[in-house]
Amino acid sequence: MQPVIRAFCASALAIVASASVVAAPMDGPQSARAGWHPAIQSAYDLLAEETNQLAEQASTYCAEPGANDRERLEQQWRDAFMAWQQVRFVDFGPVENNNLAWQFQFWPDPKNLVARKAGYLTTSDQPITADLIEQSGVAVQGFPMLEYLLFDKPFSTGKHALPATHSCALLTTVTRHLASNSKQLSADWHHFKTPYLNTEAYQASTIKSAMAALEILEERRLAKPMGLRGNGKRNPYLTDAWRSGTSLLSVEATLRGLQQHFLPDFLELLKQKGELQLAERIQRQFDAALDNFPEADRPMTALLSDDNAFRTLQGLYVDVSQLTTLVNDQAAVALGVVRGFNSSDGD
Amino acid sequence: MDRSRRKLLKAALAGSAALSLSGCSLLPRKSGFNPEQYSAAVGKPDGSFGVSAFDLEGQPLWVSSVDTRCHSGCTRPLINQLVFFERRPGWSLHVLDASTGKRLHHIEAAQGEHFVGHGVFSPDGRWLYATASRYEPGEGIVAVYDAEQNYQRVNTFELAGIGPHQITLHPDGETLAIALGGILTHPDYDRLKLNLDTMAPALILMNRRSGAIISRLTPSHHQQSLRHLDIHPSGKVFVAYQHQGPRHEMPALLARLENHRLKEIRFDDETQADLGNYIASVIAHPENDLVAAASPVGGTAVVFQGSTGKLLAKASIPDCSGVQALAGGDFLISSGQGKLVRFGANQPAQEIAQLPLYWDHHLV
Repeated sequence: MQPVIRAFCASALAIVASASVVAAPMDGPQSARAGWHPAIQSAYDLLAEETNQLAEQASTYCAEPGANDRERLEQQWRDAFMAWQQVRFVDFGPVENNNLAWQFQFWPDPKNLVARKAGYLTTSDQPITADLIEQSGVAVQGFPMLEYLLFDKPFSTGKHALPATHSCALLTTVTRHLASNSKQLSADWHHFKTPYLNTEAYQASTIKSAMAALEILEERRLAKPMGLRGNGKRNPYLTDAWRSGTSLLSVEATLRGLQQHFLPDFLELLKQKGELQLAERIQRQFDAALDNFPEADRPMTALLSDDNAFRTLQGLYVDVSQLTTLVNDQAAVALGVVRGFNSSDGD
Repeated sequence: MDRSRRKLLKAALAGSAALSLSGCSLLPRKSGFNPEQYSAAVGKPDGSFGVSAFDLEGQPLWVSSVDTRCHSGCTRPLINQLVFFERRPGWSLHVLDASTGKRLHHIEAAQGEHFVGHGVFSPDGRWLYATASRYEPGEGIVAVYDAEQNYQRVNTFELAGIGPHQITLHPDGETLAIALGGILTHPDYDRLKLNLDTMAPALILMNRRSGAIISRLTPSHHQQSLRHLDIHPSGKVFVAYQHQGPRHEMPALLARLENHRLKEIRFDDETQADLGNYIASVIAHPENDLVAAASPVGGTAVVFQGSTGKLLAKASIPDCSGVQALAGGDFLISSGQGKLVRFGANQPAQEIAQLPLYWDHHLV
């Protein structure tokens, strides 16, 4: 640029240093991460315990199938799945290894790959082995595959329904894969402690993971199936866990997980920044969303087909939406955490 | 686009008034083709997408609407056309009149293939080379189109690798340089990275007429996804990585090709941390020995000396991503918050304009 022009325009030029305040280091004391690490550890430990019991229950059921064992197995799937929902928000660190998060829960699944892969595996002559599961991709390796085997209505009335030998082999092998992954994850998170505590960037990673979880919750797990986006049609199959009718229970578990494992140290960070009122509002909003949880044990299909139930669902959606705004807009800005148009793209 | 994205965009723009600085010829001419204007894919505040061009005063010339978010593009030499590619998985490319933004052609990816966001023309403007993926087998290719025959697909060059991204032409006019990210993805699996343990990123040099691979150079670590590159008119090649390992590992993110190997450039720990293991654009200034790189993840742009790798300047620019060389020796940086920032080795970063849109990744 010519010096004359530069001088002429100088008054209009903003120094970027002033614009960069929003990206200033947001790390306070190490205390937030020091609190988050054991909190997330306890959630991973619970997941390891619940998936281990699921593997044992699956073996028990397949060895001697009985109605009571089947019921216990289904309940154990729910318990393990909810343990996963509670810690599903963590999207960084060891859970990134080998796409573990995707192995636990392949979702969204618009092409119904879970059903397609299950159809193939339960009918093929191929022996179901740990290696086969290892090679079969993330749609086979986690909770949705087990959910299909246990709860899918057409499958459960077909000739390959559990406890058919081949389907049982698939069930038990996938549960063992899941238990093994959970055990590994729990151990890896333990070893992750030192880099997690020593790396400032993990504070933003942790906050962003909660922000992303809330956004997914609001938009993809509630708004879309409720018909609040796109073509406006209600569609229960857009959310997760519709086969087992636990979509709403899993939403509740995700919120509860955030409240238990993320919120305490997050609020502390806000308070350290002088954002006392905002911290209190977020705490109250979490309580409100969880207290007002409507008929959470009912399947999404039922909640969407009944207008009274739908109104309650709308109330929940508003609660979650307000919570997301408080955390993702107000608190994140206060803490200098920005999820950008480009930075969240990945190319 | 879903509402979450719109909210994200609105949040990103909150508090920023639209600003155009008329009356001042604020930007020097751009280096290279079409020096009087810049273009880029954009997100708009209403949640829709477009491709936009702006002039040297930072004033928008046109915004051409597109259905799907685009990523980057290229200028057709000698002819007043721009080509923009949809974001990965890109199912089509748009050929635009560079003066008006009018769409001249809309070319869909071939069956079983998708574009990945980048392309480059032959020096005579006839052949368009677009990086693409055959997504079922996961094979990276260069798809060749004849611009003189309404962008008919005429050839395919095999890359013998996974995940090509940016492609550019060596100043010899004969050699294509391709950044092979190494990451296997599939449209059925969203943006899931399917092969982080076995990825094999590389810089590939290829004869643009025969498709013969002349050389394949690999980063020091297999998880350094070599995604972007640029070539100085002298022939010096610079590449940029996105590290796929844990955040607390902070390996080199930039390298230059020297004596048939990638000589990696690592800055001090603080700068490495500021770059967040992720570079979105790298540009070697054609008029000097300066190279600029931008990291939206770290919200940081750097300028360094190309020949030595010495860090010369660093600026904090939230969500910065696009980089272009300005005539006179500086760089222009664009951000997802609508900012255009002038940045060089010898002067502090200066905000040139803030527009009510979100610059997407690359400045063309």
